[in-house]
Amino acid sequence: MFRTCDITGFKVDLQSEKLIRANAVFAVISLLLAVTAAILLVFTRYQPVHLLGAEWYYRLTTFHGLNALIFWIIFFEIAGLYFGSTVILNTRFCAPKWGWIAFALMVGGLVMSNTIILMGKADVMLTSYTPLKAHPLYYLGIILFAVGALIAVILFFGNLMIARREKAYGDTMPLVAYGLMTAAIIAVITLATGAIIYIPTFLWSLGLIDNIDPAMYKLIWWGLGHSSQQINVAAMVSIWYMVSFLSVGGTSINERVSRSAFVLYILFICLASAHHLLTDPGVSSAWKVWNTSYAMYLAVLASMIHAFAVPSSFEVAQRRWGYNKGLFQWLSKAPWGNPAFAAIILAIIGFGFIGGTTGVIFGMEQTNIIVHNTIAIPGHFKGTVVIGTTLTFMGITYYLIPLIFRRKIVGFKWAQWQPWLFFIGIALLSISMIVLGQLGVPRRHWDSTFSGGPFTHNFNPAVDFFWALMMLGGSIAFIATIIWILVVVISVFFGPKVNGPQDMQLTISPLAPQPTKEHKGYEAPGTLILTLIFLLVFIALFFLNWKWLAATWNVN
Amino acid sequence: MSLYSPAEGWYYKKVAKDEKMWMVIALILCIALFIWMVMWHVYGKQNPSSTTYRTSTTEFAKLSESYIKKNMVGLDNGVPVVRPKPNTDVFILSEMWRWSPALILQKDQSYKFHISSKDLLHGFSIQPVNMNFQVFPGYDYVLEFKPTEVGEYKVICNEFCGIGHHTMIGRIVVIEKEEDLKLYGYENLKKEPDPLPESGSSGKVLTEAEMVLMGEQVYTLKGCAACHKIDGTSQLAPAWNGLFGKDELVIENGKKITVKVDEDYIKESIRTPQQKLTVGFEKTPMPIFPLTDEDVEHVIAYIKSLQ
Repeated sequence: MFRTCDITGFKVDLQSEKLIRANAVFAVISLLLAVTAAILLVFTRYQPVHLLGAEWYYRLTTFHGLNALIFWIIFFEIAGLYFGSTVILNTRFCAPKWGWIAFALMVGGLVMSNTIILMGKADVMLTSYTPLKAHPLYYLGIILFAVGALIAVILFFGNLMIARREKAYGDTMPLVAYGLMTAAIIAVITLATGAIIYIPTFLWSLGLIDNIDPAMYKLIWWGLGHSSQQINVAAMVSIWYMVSFLSVGGTSINERVSRSAFVLYILFICLASAHHLLTDPGVSSAWKVWNTSYAMYLAVLASMIHAFAVPSSFEVAQRRWGYNKGLFQWLSKAPWGNPAFAAIILAIIGFGFIGGTTGVIFGMEQTNIIVHNTIAIPGHFKGTVVIGTTLTFMGITYYLIPLIFRRKIVGFKWAQWQPWLFFIGIALLSISMIVLGQLGVPRRHWDSTFSGGPFTHNFNPAVDFFWALMMLGGSIAFIATIIWILVVVISVFFGPKVNGPQDMQLTISPLAPQPTKEHKGYEAPGTLILTLIFLLVFIALFFLNWKWLAATWNVN
Repeated sequence: MSLYSPAEGWYYKKVAKDEKMWMVIALILCIALFIWMVMWHVYGKQNPSSTTYRTSTTEFAKLSESYIKKNMVGLDNGVPVVRPKPNTDVFILSEMWRWSPALILQKDQSYKFHISSKDLLHGFSIQPVNMNFQVFPGYDYVLEFKPTEVGEYKVICNEFCGIGHHTMIGRIVVIEKEEDLKLYGYENLKKEPDPLPESGSSGKVLTEAEMVLMGEQVYTLKGCAACHKIDGTSQLAPAWNGLFGKDELVIENGKKITVKVDEDYIKESIRTPQQKLTVGFEKTPMPIFPLTDEDVEHVIAYIKSLQ
């Protein structure tokens, strides 16, 4: 059963639409759980308030990690995969029944794991490094969720096969679907790695296996923990291309380049766990240096290629619409009132300047010494997975509400402010965490005054300022998330129905006009300047960190 | 276009000049990063080591205990203090929730640290110099440190290791001259560690005072000090001063009962710590420590002495 979208002209499988809605709803629920925990954690680490006791601090840290990094992201990605493989490809859903089975497994896993955590039986952090042991049902919940997600990914490939056989798209798969396909391939690798580590750990928690080697556990666990971030990156970048198209009619200026960059993600992320072991015993320096970089950091290269390709797709489209003056008129005349557009641009900036720079520098063997397990690490991934992925997902939702849920956005003014507020909040949070970490403050630590210990330690007095800044940023981001959730929930359940293009609050741009003559020279000079600024920032941060490292004790 | 098939001939489209430029710059950067890491091994002075030995938790705990016994020059807040000679092996044990021993190091001298854990993963984090390494049970990580600045350093734990994680903090002081010891309250430490008592002392009958001394040694070496304080503070476990002879409210089989802290109760608490849980500390149950009967006797004598 299909309906034809009166706004975009795409054929929408009604079964698929229901599945997309269900998964998206659970994504929002997970996000709500995650941010509720997050705000309590922020006010616990902010020492003047020190809200929670030690027990609940660690419990909610576990809870926050699982809901934010696994449940929210993966539920949303499954919704995205279904959207990308059916709506975009004008095709039907291969096996809706299995879609519901996958959904039920994922919901069951979410409920099981969360219940066990809140009962206090799994205070082990998201990483659950052995020999820390949780209740068996905690691991089982995650396994069920992963099995559900794996089925969903297989259904995605099923949809692709149908689309291909029925020639639902022309000769070549559209770029967004291609990007989502790379995300799905990485998801299979990742979920398989997850099974390899969680199943034995589950058996160990039942007492059926004697011992799980902690170093082996950490190596394989990060094969899940980090590769899954590459699913996020691939999905996120696909959405960036999609929003470029929807908002200004932009398209990658060279699809071959963009597609090759996606392939690099698949090929060079397979042992993404290596940079989590840089200061660990057990593996040699040669192993560490090789496996973090494969000699040339090609996964980083892939992101840097997209860092040019995505903004240039906006720039070139805008120039063709006539915003051709100077280097940056394309940016100043961009549709900033479109919350999806604003969210994506801010996500790109945050992902690159905060998450990307720190990610590469912290992921080098020696500089890892000065940040390993400090709060700078969560600071880094607030930059990637929160500003990058989460803000991107929030942004695209503003398109999904009218197109998939067929409702008008209630409180559109709020929606327009929300991405900015969220960006400012998380940027403050993330940057202060990174600075705190550079000053030695540990992550996952209830009391940085070390009460009850034989000694105490006073961090650099500058930390007080950054703790306050982190608290401020966390609060702003929390408010922005609540605004987003309210806008989404109220629109989806109570919003006025969308009856056609006249009800669209967000622009859907036609394809930018094709140039009349072949372009020579620079196609996107503005983007080139922006990427070069990024390069300078990166180099400055790079030398700052290495200078700092050189000032520490000698060690080898 | 990203939602539709790309335009005809997309595969053969020439890459724009600026995009090509950026890709070349990015690739050079990526390769340079790799070369930089390799070169730092040649010219840099901070490189994580590749030396690891397989060990076991019991083996390393024994190694650490005998190392401390042999080299201890004093106590600092219940933590044994060792002043290793330059270019020697230093054994650092991490356990829930302490680092032992505390160290006195000489500036610009090298020390070969062996770091391992008795239970969970821990994070060896030297502050404020901010150097961080991962510690595993069963792996002996060998790191050769050369402190380059004098001062007082703390070793904090930055890998989650249970409810008392935040109390896990150790101390390293780096000195240049002998007088510097005064700055850290270490001027009264022994110059040389005591010679080891001859082995096989088990046959000998100890005086009460000797029993107390031996008990104190067990207290610091086996890690009781991590949770049981002797200054009256009780965050993770009951304090030991004034404990003996006291009435304690405990939970046995889900029922609250009052017991008198006597020799039998202490013995039972050490051998089967889960049997009776002291009210107020249910969340931090005590692990079973492999103590000999004599150790237990000595500990009891020590607790008795703390009135």
